[in-house]
Amino acid sequence: MKREAFFWISVSCGLVIMAFILLPLIQLFTSPSLDMLKESLSDKDVMRSIWLSIYTAGMAALISFVFGTPLAYLLARSDFRGKRLVEAVIDLPIAIPHPVVGIAILSVAGKNYWFGQILTELGVRIMGSVTGIVTVLTFVGIPFYLNATKAGFEAISPRLEKVSRSLGASMFSTFARITFPLAWRSMLIGIIMCCARAISEFGAVVIVAYHPMVASVLIYERFEAYGLKYSQPVAVWLVSISLILFFLLRILTLHKVEEK
Amino acid sequence: MRKTGSFKWVEFMVVATLLFLPHCRVLAGSSDQVIIFHAGSLTIPLAHMEKEFEAMYPGVDVLREASGSQKCARKIIDLKKPCDIMASADYKVIDKLLIPNYADWNIRFATNQLVLCYTENSKYASEINDENWYNILARKGVIWGHSDPDLDPCGYRALMVLQLAEEYYKVPGLYDKTVANRPKENIRPKSVELGSLLQTGNMDYAWEYLSVAVQHELKYILLPDEINLGNYQFDEFYDQAVVRVAGKEPDTFMEMRGSSVTYGVTMIKNSPNTKEAEAFLQYMLDPQGGLKVLKEMGQPPFVPCRVPTEAAKSSLPESLQNLVVIKD
Repeated sequence: MKREAFFWISVSCGLVIMAFILLPLIQLFTSPSLDMLKESLSDKDVMRSIWLSIYTAGMAALISFVFGTPLAYLLARSDFRGKRLVEAVIDLPIAIPHPVVGIAILSVAGKNYWFGQILTELGVRIMGSVTGIVTVLTFVGIPFYLNATKAGFEAISPRLEKVSRSLGASMFSTFARITFPLAWRSMLIGIIMCCARAISEFGAVVIVAYHPMVASVLIYERFEAYGLKYSQPVAVWLVSISLILFFLLRILTLHKVEEK
Repeated sequence: MRKTGSFKWVEFMVVATLLFLPHCRVLAGSSDQVIIFHAGSLTIPLAHMEKEFEAMYPGVDVLREASGSQKCARKIIDLKKPCDIMASADYKVIDKLLIPNYADWNIRFATNQLVLCYTENSKYASEINDENWYNILARKGVIWGHSDPDLDPCGYRALMVLQLAEEYYKVPGLYDKTVANRPKENIRPKSVELGSLLQTGNMDYAWEYLSVAVQHELKYILLPDEINLGNYQFDEFYDQAVVRVAGKEPDTFMEMRGSSVTYGVTMIKNSPNTKEAEAFLQYMLDPQGGLKVLKEMGQPPFVPCRVPTEAAKSSLPESLQNLVVIKD
């Protein structure tokens, strides 16, 4: 069968995009020598920063899960005035330039602002603290969790829930026994998306917390102080983690399609 | 039907290509530009100079990138980013990192001094003065910071001021006591950021150049010439201060010794826009041009600018030679 021109255009566009994404990454992965990679693994600062990245991103995802799930459910199930507005607000963190996020959070957390004053009195510090990093990462990551989870809830027929309710189950138990088992995969995808987004964050984190250093900030610091050679190995490890996360995501979504 | 469909595709591609073409010139950087990498502390005066210069040369676009001075050098050396002019807050950065491979000469064009910045909302703002500031920095609950000594000359200079203060005020342990009250978390990559932390109330005190404090309308404590690193006549006294900063590799270090704050500027070898860059420097180093702007913004320029030797002077482009004097 003769392929149409459209097919070949699609294929060549695809190849261009693949090369566009992969070329810099391959270059990144092949630049540092194996010794350098091993050496950076035994470097305490590097390991600490990578763990801090994973830990803070995980915390951000956990917070998104706890506070975001009810909101996602509400948005999926009910229509109310201003719903579009709420949805637009949720997407805002995706569109705001990252340094602006950091500046905005710092100005709220500073003691020249009433909220910051309360925080100071409670002894909570945002600038240069793990709390601050988690705050920033939650800010940039939560839209991804909300959107994925909302889509998951929307895909479940409300009839199933109504049946359960009509049989006398409470709303909570309906959620736990009907909705959650059907939606957990979307929630997991949301968590992974949120984590991935959080791990990759740099611009907002570096404004709120330079120390303690997450991996992306350490890469920047290494680059500035020592040059490319010493920032690349850290970058390789960080990209590897992101790669694993996205690989997991693909596997999970694949299963979902097959089930249908 | 199919035919018209694919024809539309071709049309679309042609239009898209045509739309993209004008951008290629910009992407390739072939229009008249001057690319300047500069210390963060020069941002505001250079923005002003850019306006004046572009009014004189309407066809030339000045592109500026601010970062810690060491980072400017890194961008040139490691990233090979195209750059015409590099202006550093410490002229030694040019001497140490750029000459001889990336630059031939180094003109010293301005000075500055360190001040301790704060706002009216800073803790103990009402009682701080040039006699008791070091006690306040050591007080519990006071949040003060400086920029990263490994990335920004302002960072190691702040530490030098503290060392010199110990000598000058004759208070043994002043340095250790104050630094012990500054957790690592209060260190930032570049000094200019500290101003925003003060203004948002995330920090109480920060070390900054005088010019930056003036430009950002911060309150500041002026320090005696013996310790503010602003007067080259005290270079011998400044020399006692030694700060260890990151070397070329992790876990290696080099020692920076105190000396007066002197700004240096150079042109990068094989720069993409030699002619325009020369024109900009001619304006920038002119006492009636850029140097005047610096002066108005709280940063004392060298009038005229300085190079150390006759050989250095003769290595300058001809158009710049009459703007400098030989002075060590």
